This record gives sequence, structure tokens and C-alpha cells, in this order.
Amino acid sequence: MNALACLAGTPAYHTDPSLLEPAETPEFRPAPLDEFDREELLLRKLGPRGWTRWTLFRHHYPAGWGKGGQALSPRTVEGFFQFLKVAQFRHSPPSVFLTDRGGIELCWEDREGRSIQLEFTETGIEFYHEPTSEEGFVELARAEELARSLST
Amino acid sequence: MPVPPHENIVRAVCPDKWDGQRLSPSLFAGEHLSVSRLAVLLLEAHWDLFHRHVARPPERRLEMVVEINVGRLQDLGRTHPQPVKLTVEPKPEPWNPAHAEIPQRISRGLANRILPALSRHLPPPWLKQATG
Repeated sequence: MNALACLAGTPAYHTDPSLLEPAETPEFRPAPLDEFDREELLLRKLGPRGWTRWTLFRHHYPAGWGKGGQALSPRTVEGFFQFLKVAQFRHSPPSVFLTDRGGIELCWEDREGRSIQLEFTETGIEFYHEPTSEEGFVELARAEELARSLST
Repeated sequence: MPVPPHENIVRAVCPDKWDGQRLSPSLFAGEHLSVSRLAVLLLEAHWDLFHRHVARPPERRLEMVVEINVGRLQDLGRTHPQPVKLTVEPKPEPWNPAHAEIPQRISRGLANRILPALSRHLPPPWLKQATG
């Protein structure tokens, strides 16, 4: 079983919750990116075209798109940036699209020109990886893991 | 009664599905996908229809119309590693008598095979002038 299958599949083992002790230290959470860091990250990872499109979808797309009149939900945006922080696109910058259900979609190709696709939604990330013909869905909390698995 | 395999269907493409380089796979992924039938309305009539009802200028302009034959679409579904029997069901709407729907779920993997099979039509001159 490869890394993507592990991400999308059921865990290999399960610990009975009654055997777990409460953590003594609070759960580690990385500091959220501020607006300047996000802009810099977008430009670095997506290039000018991707940055322009993100800005269009985020700030200028007609109201009424997506959930609650927002083009993109805050949860979707957060998952997207968690992914972007870790992802590497060495062969071609990804294209950025807005889906009909208000998700943000990233598409790019690996060195052999095979497609890699992701859609970030409020509930998780749908992915397709042509090199392994794998498709699946992972929770937004696993965005960084997915980014490591899919980086080209 | 499903749309016969010899018919061709179209979809409108706005900037959310086209970045000047790639077409979005979500253009042909998911379920209950809306399409429109060229046997009911000619392509020329679709430009006007999509311009008035799908595009929302200035941000969401009509970039192109993509077309595929229903039989070709069904072949792609049938020969996919996870085969799916695709149908196109007529669903006329008040704003579009040619409206139809693909009820089955089209996976991203299958959409990845459909995209290269699409014919692309660029806007006619009158539409370019109308939208600046």
C-alpha cells in the first residue's frame, strides 16, 4: 500500500480510547499565516497567473457563488494554505480553478506530463493522481501530509 | 428517453474553468452535470443563451464553448478502468429548452480522459465586441 492509499484508507491499527492518557501538553498547532505571508506564499508557489486568479476568486467573484454567498469558505481557504505551505511544484506551476460547489481546484502535471488534481472543499480534499490512478478524499487536517505525498 | 449517441452536447466555459492554459477537470466531473444539446439549439444560439444566462461579466465572461459527441462520451465511460454507463437525460429549463443532465457521477480520473476529447469553440466576433 502506498502513501496515498494510506492517507485515504482506514488506519492500520486502532488504540482503544480508554487506554489513552490525556496529553500533558496542548496540541501543537502551527501559527496561522498573516495576510502578507499568504500573498508571498501564493506568488511563490502559484506564480503571477495563479496569484491573480486566486485574488479574483477570493475577492472579486460575484456574490452568490459557493456557500453562504461567499466564493470560498474560510475552512476551505485554511486547508488550501496548509497544503500550499508544504507542496512543491518543480515541473510546472499549478492552475487554479473555482468549482461549481465553491471549492478551489489545483491542477498540474508531473515530469512525464501526468495529471495531478486536487479540490479543496469545506469538508475535505478530493484528489486524483494519474501516475498511480488513485482517487480519494482526505480531511482538511491532513492537507500537509497530502502535500508531501503529491509534491512533484 | 435518453439523448441518442449521435447527438453532440456542449458546456459553457468561463474563467473559473479556464486559465488560458488548462481546462479545469471539474468542468466534466461530479454528478448531475448540466449540458446543452446542439440538436435542439444550434451553436450560434448557445452563444447568446450562455452570454445572457451563464456569464456574469465583468469577472465571469464566456471564454469558450466545449463540445463532445454523446457516443464518444459513453465510450470513454465504458472503457474507463472503473467503467460507468453514462447517459444524457433531457431536462429542458424555461431559460434553455436544450438543457440536459448527466446524472451519473463522473470521477476525476474519467474527467481526465474526457477533457482531451472536447472540441473547443471560441466566441464569435459579435460576442467579443459585446463584452469588450
